[in-house]
Amino acid sequence: MARDPRSYRTPLWVDWCPGCGNFGILQALTETLAELGLPPEETVIVSGIGCSGKTPHYVNANGVHTLHGRAIPYATGVKLANPGLTVIVNGGDGDLLGIGAGHFVALGRRNLDITVLMHNNQVYGLTKGQASPTLPYGVRTKSLPKPNIQDMLNPVALAVAAGYTFVARSYALDIKHLKTVMKMAVSHRGASFVDILQPCVTYNNVYTVQFYRRALYRLEDTDGWDPVVHSPDEEPQKKAQAIAKAQEWGSRIPIGVFYVNPHRPSFEDRLEARIPGYRQHPPATRLPVVEETAPPYTSGDLKNIFGDRIVRVRRRGSAGRQGARSDE
Amino acid sequence: MELEDRPPPALVAMVGGPQGSGLETSAQVLTVAYAAVGYRVLASREYHSNIIGRHSYTLIGVDPARLPGGHRYPVDIAAFMDAESVFTHYQDLAPGSYLVYDTGLAGVELHRIPSVEPETRRRILAGLEKLGVEPKVGSVVDMLAGRGVRTVGLDFRRLLATLRERYGLTYAAARRFTSMIVAASVAAVTGLSLEELKEGLGYRFRGRPHLVEQNLALAEEVYRQLASLPPLRLPDPESPPDEYMVVTGNEAVAIGKAAAGLGLQSYYPITPAQDESFYLEAHEESTGIVVFQAEDELAAIAAATGAALAGARAATATSGPGFDLMIEGLGWACMNEAPVVVTLYQRGGPSTGLPTRGSQEDLLDAAFAGHGECPRVVLASWSHEEAMRDAVEAFNLAEEYQLPVVHLLDKFLANSVATIEAPRVEGLVLRRGPLVERPGAGYRRFALPGPVSPRALLGRAVMWYTGDEHDEYGHISEEPSTRIAMVNKRLEKLDMVARSVPEMGGRAALYPEDADPAQLDLLIYSWGTAARVSADAVDYLLARGVRAALLRVHYFSPYPGGVVSRIVEEARSAGAKVVDVEHNRQAQAAALAKMYSGVEFDARLLKYTGRPIYLHELLDALGSVLRGQGGEVHLSYGA
Repeated sequence: MARDPRSYRTPLWVDWCPGCGNFGILQALTETLAELGLPPEETVIVSGIGCSGKTPHYVNANGVHTLHGRAIPYATGVKLANPGLTVIVNGGDGDLLGIGAGHFVALGRRNLDITVLMHNNQVYGLTKGQASPTLPYGVRTKSLPKPNIQDMLNPVALAVAAGYTFVARSYALDIKHLKTVMKMAVSHRGASFVDILQPCVTYNNVYTVQFYRRALYRLEDTDGWDPVVHSPDEEPQKKAQAIAKAQEWGSRIPIGVFYVNPHRPSFEDRLEARIPGYRQHPPATRLPVVEETAPPYTSGDLKNIFGDRIVRVRRRGSAGRQGARSDE
Repeated sequence: MELEDRPPPALVAMVGGPQGSGLETSAQVLTVAYAAVGYRVLASREYHSNIIGRHSYTLIGVDPARLPGGHRYPVDIAAFMDAESVFTHYQDLAPGSYLVYDTGLAGVELHRIPSVEPETRRRILAGLEKLGVEPKVGSVVDMLAGRGVRTVGLDFRRLLATLRERYGLTYAAARRFTSMIVAASVAAVTGLSLEELKEGLGYRFRGRPHLVEQNLALAEEVYRQLASLPPLRLPDPESPPDEYMVVTGNEAVAIGKAAAGLGLQSYYPITPAQDESFYLEAHEESTGIVVFQAEDELAAIAAATGAALAGARAATATSGPGFDLMIEGLGWACMNEAPVVVTLYQRGGPSTGLPTRGSQEDLLDAAFAGHGECPRVVLASWSHEEAMRDAVEAFNLAEEYQLPVVHLLDKFLANSVATIEAPRVEGLVLRRGPLVERPGAGYRRFALPGPVSPRALLGRAVMWYTGDEHDEYGHISEEPSTRIAMVNKRLEKLDMVARSVPEMGGRAALYPEDADPAQLDLLIYSWGTAARVSADAVDYLLARGVRAALLRVHYFSPYPGGVVSRIVEEARSAGAKVVDVEHNRQAQAAALAKMYSGVEFDARLLKYTGRPIYLHELLDALGSVLRGQGGEVHLSYGA
C-alpha cells in the first residue's frame, strides 16, 4: 500500500550543504519507502560515518547510525536476528569501499537480503575533501594538495565479483531513475547494491552536475541490454557482461541495472536449510518481550541437547577391578 | 608410593607426544574413563600454535573427593609417545613416579629432534650436562631409574605390528593407535579395569564399534605386559554423582549461553575462543541458535550488537587480538546502551603473543578498553561451573542495565576438561530489564531521567541509534545540558549494578566462606583460574595448621572496593601476610585493588610464562611469604 513520502521524513533540519546530492538520495529513498508501502517500524536504515551517515536521522523509520565502515555488519546482525525487517544500508564510498571494504565483499558472499545504497561522491566530505577509493588516479579535486596518487576502485565490478545478486548504478539528481532502481533493489531477494553517483558541491569540482549531465547514459536505452540471469547456467556470461560494461568510465558513463541473479539462495534460505524453522522463530523472537522469563529449555532439554557431554557413573562393585589391580 | 604424600590432586598423570598424533584422544579416553567410575577430573592441555608435529602434553588430575583446582608436579605417571617428551619432562618425575616410554626410542639423541626449539634444546642440554647425563633417551631413562623413578619400557613397534596383523591394517592406520598405548599404560598403572577403560573408548569412538574393538585389543596387550607392576593406589571415588557433564571451559560457556536463551553468536576464528562457537554451531539444529562466522572481529561485535537491538540475546567470543578490534564496537554499545555480551578468553600477549598459552593479562584491557567514558560490566569466572552460570548472568546484567558485559576467562579454563554437574535451570530467571512491546509514536529510546530507559526492539517501534552523543530520541546532539544528562545516565548504571550485586558473595567472595579475616596468618587475593589453584593451596595449608584464606574478586566492574579494603585491612591489622596471586607481570588485579581500595600487598606471586600456576610452586612461594619474604616472586615452573 503506497503511503505519503512526506510521512517518511523527520522534522529535523537537514544539515547537508545546499545543493548536496544527498538531498536527491533522501528524496528518492522516502519515495521508495512510500511507494513500496514499507511500515516505518519494520524498516531499518543503517548508516556508517560521514555526510551519508546522517541519512537515518532524516528518515522516519528505524535508524541505526553506526561506526565508520561498519554499517553492513550491524545491518547483518539486525537482519539475521529478525529476517522479517527491511534493512537498507546507506554508506559513503570511503565508508563502504575504504574502511569497510572487507564487509562490503563479505555481504556479497552471503547474499543476505539487504540493500546497500552507496553515496558515491569520490571524496571524504566531512573531513574536508580527501580522495576516496572511487576517485580516479591523477585527478585533483579542489582541496587536494596534489593529484590523487591511488587508483580508483570499480564499485560495480567489485559488487558483481563479490556475489551481489542485484547490482545497479544511478544518479543522485535523477530522482525518478534513482527511485526506480532503488525500488528494484529493495524488492530484490538477496544482497543488492546501488552505486549512486553524487556530486559534492563543496569539494568535488571535477565530477560536477555539468559533468554528469554530459556523461551519463541509460543502459535501459541501449539496444539488447539484458542484465538478468534467466537460468543458472547464464550466470558466468551475465557476470562477465556486467563487469565489462562497468569498465566504461570517462566521457560516457552508464547508469541502470548491470546484473540481476534471482537464482542464488539468500543467506536466510541457507540458514533455513540448516536450522529448520529459522524464519518462523528467528533469534529476535527466541525470548518473549517481558521483563522476566524462564529459560527456553528445561534441565532435561539441556541434557538431551548436550547429551554428547554426559558421562554416566558406574559405581565400582567388589568385582569391578581387574587389570593391573588384580596383581596387587 | 603413597599418593597422599603429594599435594592434591590425588593423581596427576601426564601424556605427551607430538601435536596431531592422537594425544587428545588419549586424554579424552582417560578423562571419561575416570569420570565414568566417579572420579573428579581436570585435564589440561598444553600445546603450541601448530597443527602437526610440535610437542604437546596433557595433565590429567584425578581426585576421589573434589574437582582439582589445578595441577602440581612431580607427576605420578607420565606416558610418552615420543623422544621429545622424555627430554622435555624428565624433571617432572620424582622417585616413585612412573615413566612409560617406547623402547624403540632409546637411542634417539636430543640434537636429532628437529621440532625442539633451539633455546629449549640449550636449556635441556645444560640441565643434562649438570647431571652428567648423555642427551640420549636411553641415558635419560637410566638416570631416572637410578633416582627411583619406575621406568617402564614398552616396544611400541611390536605392539602396533601385532595389531596390524590381527586386523589387516596399513602401517599408517596402525600408527594412529600409538596414543592408545599411552592411554592404556596410564589406565593399567592407575588401577582402571579394562572394562572401565572401555567406557572412555566407547565415548570417544561413539558409533564406530570397530575402533572400540581394535583399541581395546591393543589395550589388553598393554595391560598384559604391565600386569606385574605395583599399581598406584588411587582411593575409590567418594560418593560420586549418577552422572557428570564432561566439558571444556569453552563448552561450559556455550551451554550456559544456550540456557540463557542466546539467539545469535557471532565470531571470527581465534584461539582459544573458537571452540565455543564451533560447539554451538554443531548443536544449531536442536537449539535454533544462529552461529555467524563474521569476516573479522569488527564485524563480529557489530553483528552481535545489531542482533541485540532487534531483540535477540546476542554474544560474541574472542581472545585478546580479536578484542582489540572489537573495542570500537564496545564503545558503540556503551553509547547506545546495547545489551551485548563479549566472552573474552585471555591468552599471552601483547600482539600475537603466546596464542595457545594462557594468561590473565587482559584485565585492565577488559576494564578500561576504549576511548571516552564507556561503562561496562566485567565479570571473571574461576571455574567451569561458574563460567556456565556467569554466561547466563552476563545476559541478565546486559539486558537489565542495557550495557555491554565482558565475560573474562582464559585459555587455562577454555582448554581444560572438567567433570561438573549438568546444569539445573529450574527456578532460573532470565531478567530482560524494562522492555516495551509497542510504545507507539513519539517513542524515546533514551528517555530521561533513566538511567535505564524502557527498551523497544527494532521492528516494534520507530527509534534511532547513533554513535554520536544524542538526545532522548537518539538524534545527534551537542547541547551541553543533553551531554551532561546522557553521560550521567550511562555511568550511573554501574552504581545500579553495584547496588544490586552485593560486594561479599557477589562481586567478591571469601574462601572458605566463613573465614574470619581477623584470625588469619595468610590472605591470598586472586581471581579467575589463579584463584582456583589458590583455593587448593588454602585447603592444603588449613589442613596443616596455617590459618589461610582466599579473597577472590569476581566482578572487576563495578569493583568491590569496599569489601577488598575491609578484608585486607582486617587481615593485615591481625598480622596476616596479604599476597596477590595472578597470571600476569604487572599485578593488574593488585593495581585495581590499590586504585579502588587503597590497599597494598606484602607480596605478589606472578606467573607469565603462559603455563598455569602449579600448586607445588605456589605452596613453595607462599611458604617463603609466611617466613617473611616480601616483594615480587615470578613463578616459572612447566615446559
